[in-house]
Amino acid sequence: MQIEDDEILQGFIEESLEHLADIENDLLAIEENGADIDEDLVNKVFRAAHSIKGGAGFMGLTVIQDLSHVMENVLGLIRSGKLVPTPEIINVLLQASDKLNTMIEDVNNSNEYDIEEHLVPLNAIYDGDLPQTSAPTATEKPEEAETAETAETAETVSMSTPEAIIAEEAVSAPDPDPTPEPEPEPEPGLVQSTEPVVHAPTPAAPAPKPAPTPKPSSPSAPKKSAAKVKVDTSIRVHVSLLDSLMTLAGELVLSRNQLLQTISSGDTINAESVGQRIDLITSELQEAIMLTRMQPIGNVFGKFPRVVRDLSSKLNKTIDLTIVGKDVELDKTIIESINDPLTHLVRNSVDHGIELPEERTKVGKSPKGLVILKAYHAAGQVVIEISDDGKGLDGEVLAEAAINKGLITPEQAQLMSEKEKVNLILLPGFSTAKEVTDVSGRGVGMDVVKTNLDQLGGQVDIISEVGQGTTISIKLPLTLAIIPCQIIMTGGERYAIPQVNLEELLRIPANQVKNRIERVGNAEVVRLRGNLLPLIRLADVLNIERTYYDLSDEEFKADRRERIADRRGKETPLDTREEKALQAEKDAIEAERKLDDRRHTASSALNIVVVSNGSMKYGLIVDKLQDSEEIVIKPLGKHLQGCKGYAGATIMGDGRIALILDVTNLAIMADLTSMDGSDRASEIALAAEELVKAQKDKQALLTFRSSEKEQFAVPLNQVERIEKIKRSDIEELGGKRVMQYRGGSLSLIAVDDVAMVQPIADTDDLLVIVFNIANQIVGLLAIGPIDAIEISVSVDDVTLKQPGIMGSTIIDGQTTMLIDIYEIVDVLFPEWFEDKEVFEVEDEGKVPTILIAEDSNFFRNQVKNYMTESGYDVIEGEDGAIAWELLQEHGDDITIVVTDIEMPNMDGFELTETIRKDSRFATIPIIALTTLAGEEDVAKGKAVGVDEYHIKLDKEKLMASVHHYVKQVH
Amino acid sequence: MENNDDTVNKNLVELSTFLVGDALCGMDILKIQEINKLIDMTTVPQAPSYVLGILNLRGQIITSIDLSKKLGLGETNLSHDPRNIIVNSKGEHIGLLVKKISDVVQANTDKFEPPPSNMGGIQGEFFTGVYKTEDKLIGILDVEKVLRLEERN
Repeated sequence: MQIEDDEILQGFIEESLEHLADIENDLLAIEENGADIDEDLVNKVFRAAHSIKGGAGFMGLTVIQDLSHVMENVLGLIRSGKLVPTPEIINVLLQASDKLNTMIEDVNNSNEYDIEEHLVPLNAIYDGDLPQTSAPTATEKPEEAETAETAETAETVSMSTPEAIIAEEAVSAPDPDPTPEPEPEPEPGLVQSTEPVVHAPTPAAPAPKPAPTPKPSSPSAPKKSAAKVKVDTSIRVHVSLLDSLMTLAGELVLSRNQLLQTISSGDTINAESVGQRIDLITSELQEAIMLTRMQPIGNVFGKFPRVVRDLSSKLNKTIDLTIVGKDVELDKTIIESINDPLTHLVRNSVDHGIELPEERTKVGKSPKGLVILKAYHAAGQVVIEISDDGKGLDGEVLAEAAINKGLITPEQAQLMSEKEKVNLILLPGFSTAKEVTDVSGRGVGMDVVKTNLDQLGGQVDIISEVGQGTTISIKLPLTLAIIPCQIIMTGGERYAIPQVNLEELLRIPANQVKNRIERVGNAEVVRLRGNLLPLIRLADVLNIERTYYDLSDEEFKADRRERIADRRGKETPLDTREEKALQAEKDAIEAERKLDDRRHTASSALNIVVVSNGSMKYGLIVDKLQDSEEIVIKPLGKHLQGCKGYAGATIMGDGRIALILDVTNLAIMADLTSMDGSDRASEIALAAEELVKAQKDKQALLTFRSSEKEQFAVPLNQVERIEKIKRSDIEELGGKRVMQYRGGSLSLIAVDDVAMVQPIADTDDLLVIVFNIANQIVGLLAIGPIDAIEISVSVDDVTLKQPGIMGSTIIDGQTTMLIDIYEIVDVLFPEWFEDKEVFEVEDEGKVPTILIAEDSNFFRNQVKNYMTESGYDVIEGEDGAIAWELLQEHGDDITIVVTDIEMPNMDGFELTETIRKDSRFATIPIIALTTLAGEEDVAKGKAVGVDEYHIKLDKEKLMASVHHYVKQVH
Repeated sequence: MENNDDTVNKNLVELSTFLVGDALCGMDILKIQEINKLIDMTTVPQAPSYVLGILNLRGQIITSIDLSKKLGLGETNLSHDPRNIIVNSKGEHIGLLVKKISDVVQANTDKFEPPPSNMGGIQGEFFTGVYKTEDKLIGILDVEKVLRLEERN
């Protein structure tokens, strides 16, 4: 090979590959236009083929030259309107451009390639007027296709098979040809004039002699070598961007000079401003440099029209592909590595997702399937969605298949939500295709996709509805180089957790640790909004000594707490050895103080980082949470490659290194994988279920104080948010207290405005608990400490009952008054509820009667009050059985049944079931009240006939729904 | 940094010598990028025991290896001001922690002798030979071998 100048060759390769990328899409566009030829487009393709030919000739790449030459010939015919671009012709051209692509990528061996299979049909098309030349090609092709197919089964499906289709259709191919028939001569002349040197020998020679024998070996052999000859890659950057980089670099140099000057002159005042300047320039420079690496995702998307076209014709499906968001830019490395996973997903959609036209018509869909590829920005990430309107994924089928394959146990499957079941497809060794096709589904599919994307820091999510289609969305970071991370500390060292993996941060105060952390076997779990979350101690996974900070307030005396806080403040970052010594000292103190409380769980608050990697979520217990920072990932040395728990390292502001945690591998190291069917996962899941059930009749309350001595509580679900304010933020206008809040005024109230309690404490730091009542927001002034707890409420609604206070209960040994926020607001702002009065019973004589079934006196009275306030009649039953008797007794009088779920004798489900079984009450509305609306409960309720679910004490929603049903019945 | 090809021609090398435990070892000075004092290190839980940690050398993350431990000569005492020899191995910078840096010795490669047979075992495999000066014996360290990864299970 006589290639001397590497640079020129490199340039040729890049340019040609660019041309080829365009050619493909342009050819498809030409095909779509059919006889209606867009001259510009054809010209463009023609020119592309031409410049490849020219370059190849110059480089001595004769085979590339020959192939591009015959392509050019055919394109010339199309350009001059002598040839109508039928799909068959385009097919041949596409295959030829594929081959060109392969050859250019493997440029050093390109002269060894056999291009006969392309030359023959191309020349046949070119000589389309001569029936004797097109006939032999038609007969030859089948055998060619067969040999090719057997040789290149796996990777070149798209190349070999459509050829077979052409062979079959070759008979029809000549029919568009008659047009060019009359004047074939001037055409070559035209081509020749543009490129006279190489024309003569090529078209004539190879055409008549098809050589099918060498084909099986030659095209596949160089293909393998192609991979290793991958040449250095380069990237095109816009000159304006380079210019701005240059300017920034200049500025940086200037600032450096300034900095050196200020340092040598000891000018501290200027140093600060120079520092700021450098800071600014650095971030601008960073941004600009990042931009040079950004490439539009269109580079990857661009090839899919072809993929979809080839595949769908092979599978006898008709599919439209819509591409949205070609311009979305991603880092070059990401663009390069999402190619394969995306191809797989698109193929999957076409092969498994979209049904055959007949099936589609049968279920009432348009016979033409639709695949949408979409890229967009969301929350600092790029989301790529591949959706199809095909048959969708059936979670049940997937679960069953997973069970049959032994990937999960039936018990686990039972506990899975529909979404989890759909996500089973990502399990290793899972293939849903009924039969393995060569298009996709070799049993290694989706899990490979997932692994690839995991490596990129991406997340896969599948949403699917049976019969409606599937949407697979992939979230990718914009760049891999710089990522936002949460910094945490454990064992005296800092670690970074990528923000993409971060779900939330959770802090469990020391006094709740006992209640909220459960032990299942040797596994720890925490209850988080009704779900149980498995916990991992980072220190345990990394096998380092457990440490913890005692910042907890209640159990220790103030002096001790301060000492520890001081010490920590001064000595971070601590050397590990010092840390250990300190820890030992700390332990000693602790042992002295509270022998029985040395168990960490009882003595200190827990900091939990809730992380997820898409398919699984767990809590990581760490010593301390720090800031979130943007970090630059640096790889770890080879000696540390065996440490799977880290994704790399980064340098922090103080120059020390922090390790970046790999959330997925940590879970594997801790033997905690929700998807791999480990015993422990199912054990936890089962235990979780039971615990949640046991917790059912609990109420989540927010406790706070108004004066120092009195503790209050409100149901947590009524609270919108809590704000910290200063007393000076409060303005008193027109006899009312307000504060500025989100661009408006927030009315402020205090418990003592209505109830006879001690006045709000006279401190500067206040809390405002924001409620949304009757579509208005109102803030309740309070002071700390505030806390969210979950308790079985046994409310005493007699002793302390007064306006604004619904009753009292004992929380942590302290009598706590439960606030009735509706009542308080009603007293202070009666006008707010005036609109609501419309709801009220517009009774002409007969007042609707509501049957309430509830075992707790407190809740029953509350609900009863809501109802009677609105003018309804109420009949109460203490449990399901009594309610049932009452219902039979009063029968027709009762308009609506409102029932609790957890009741003795007969629970809400049974009651509903019994009611529904009786034909008299088949249509009576049933509203269920619950403290914790678990998904499975809602489903169960719906199954037995509950019309609606409401959370206890959510007065507005309950009443709205009662009104709604009353109106319906009347 | 790594133009050690030139020196081979002349048969003359400069050996940087240092103490690993109590053993005097040496390596071609041209393989050394720099020698540092011990700087603040970050421990890496779960790393092989001879890896002391990772450190930040002007923005590069460097794995620091306790040479003494790697050679099976016990742990280097960190409180006696040990030094980090930064070497470049296969494109990666690695720090080798040694007890003390000693002289630079000019040596003729022809005079290198094979390691004595009683220097077998774990230490022996890391030495290419010994060099005898008037009063000392220097073990010539094969850095690449030291840094080669053991097969992991």
